[in-house]
This record gives sequence, structure tokens and C-alpha cells, in this order.
Amino acid sequence: MENIGYMPRWIFDIAGFHIVLNKETLIMTWIVMAFWILFSLLATKSTKMVPNPLQSTAEILIATWDDLVKDSLGLTDRRYFAFICTIFLLFWVSNLIGIIPFLSEPTKDINTTLSLGVVGFIVAHYSGIKFKGIKTYLKEYCEPIFFMMPLNVIGELSKVVSISFRLFGNIMGGSIIILVVSYLVYSLVLPPFLYGFFGLFVGTIQAFVFTMLSLVYISVQIR
Amino acid sequence: MDISGADLVRAAAFIGAGIAMGLGAIGPGVGEGFVGGKACEAIGRNPEEAGLLTRTMLVAQAVAESTGIYSLVVALLLIFVV
Repeated sequence: MENIGYMPRWIFDIAGFHIVLNKETLIMTWIVMAFWILFSLLATKSTKMVPNPLQSTAEILIATWDDLVKDSLGLTDRRYFAFICTIFLLFWVSNLIGIIPFLSEPTKDINTTLSLGVVGFIVAHYSGIKFKGIKTYLKEYCEPIFFMMPLNVIGELSKVVSISFRLFGNIMGGSIIILVVSYLVYSLVLPPFLYGFFGLFVGTIQAFVFTMLSLVYISVQIR
Repeated sequence: MDISGADLVRAAAFIGAGIAMGLGAIGPGVGEGFVGGKACEAIGRNPEEAGLLTRTMLVAQAVAESTGIYSLVVALLLIFVV
């Protein structure tokens, strides 16, 4: 019970910089990436017209996100598809990995979600500048009158905070509730159901929501 | 046993965490229930759009939830950091 907020760390100094790495987050993120690399290699090893189970799973995932991206952005090419699909796959398995014993979610660390949120923010604003031109992009901050500019800027920045704190809070809160309730009932009967709800259900929904909101922010910028 | 200033601060932080979580859960509860009810009405009117409506409902509920998540983060900070 005492180790709820505890994060194992690597601390070292290189060339005058004091570097702190969250050990658990790093290792778990690499496990997630290894899982998807392995999955992709196995799924595409022998592609056929009549697919094997792995290939059809991959096809369902890819086709669903391809349709979603096409619907929301209205572009004919697939330039944002890879980014959006990657975010979803990474966060989905990151949220689900907590149901396996001895593994913990990398999204329990605020650094993971905040960095991906910032990446989504930069992609959205870069594509906004590219699609609309710098002049129209800057003019939108002065809507409806010039004095509203600070409010608009803070509104844009708060999107990053809200999107990343939402994912972090859900996963962290879920794992704390699982820990506390497991402690109270001596790990009898209840924990599997809690893992089912907070791990599978909430994890899937929150990964989907994070990805959809990144997509919506991009589509708001490029239209 | 005498109570010192640090104990009072701890106690106030725990009470604050409870109040923050309890009051902060009201808004998201009302909002999510409203969104869910309206989505059910809309699905009842045209059931063939159920997939799109469910997707939109989930995103809207997650957005409505964010104030509750903020209060959760504040409560966690009060419990584990103060």
C-alpha cells in the first residue's frame, strides 16, 4: 500500500546534465513496442487472399482506423493515417498491459501521456500552418476581436493539458482503486472484475478517446 | 499524544482531497448521464446510425469527464505530495 506513488528511477550525470529516467515506464514502453513489432512481423509473414487469424486482426484494425481518419479529415491521401493509428495501437496495449501480473501501464506515468499530447498538438498546428498559410492561421487567434488573443492561446494550450491528464488520471485512478480494493478484500473474488473494468473497458475507451481527440484537433486545424 | 502543525496539515490535505473528489464528481456525473440519455434517444429514433452515435457519445462523455479527472489529479496530489 505504501508504494502507490513510487517510481523506480535511473539517475546519472552525463556532461553536466542531471538525468532522471523512469525505469519502469521505459521498459514497459519497449515491451509494448516489441509486442507490436512482433505482431506486425507475424501478421505480414505470409499474406494471402484468405487470411489467417493474425492477418485478419491486423486488417480489421487498419481498415477501421483508415475509415475513421478518412471520415473526419476528408482528405484523399493517407498522410495522417500512420500517425493516428500508431497513437491508438501504442496507448491501447499500454493501457491493457496492466492486467498481466508484474507488468504496469506506461500510461500511469504523466511523462508518457504529456509527451504524446505535445506531439499531437505540434502535428495539429504544423498542419494548420501548412494547409491554411501562416497569415490565416495567425488571424484565427484574433477572432472575434484582437483583444481575445490571450484567451485563444490559453484555450489551445489547455487542450494539451486536458488530453494528457485525462488519460493519465483514468489509468492512474483505476490502478489505485484496484490496489486499494485488492488490499481491502485480501485479493479475493473482486480483483478480476476490477481488472476487467478498469483494464480492458476503460483502457480501450481512453485510448480511443485520446486518438479521436488528436484527430479532431488536426481536423479543426486543417479545415 | 499531542497534535503538531504537520499533523494538522496532513489532516487538512486528506479532508481537502475528499471534498475535491466528492464535489468534482457531481458535474461529470450529470453531464455524462445527460449525454448518454440523449444518445439513447437518438439511437431509438434511428437505430441504423447506432455505431456513429455510440462513437460520438463516448468521445463526448470523455470530454465531459475531464473536470472529474482534474479533481482526481488534485486529490492525488493532496494525498501523496502535500
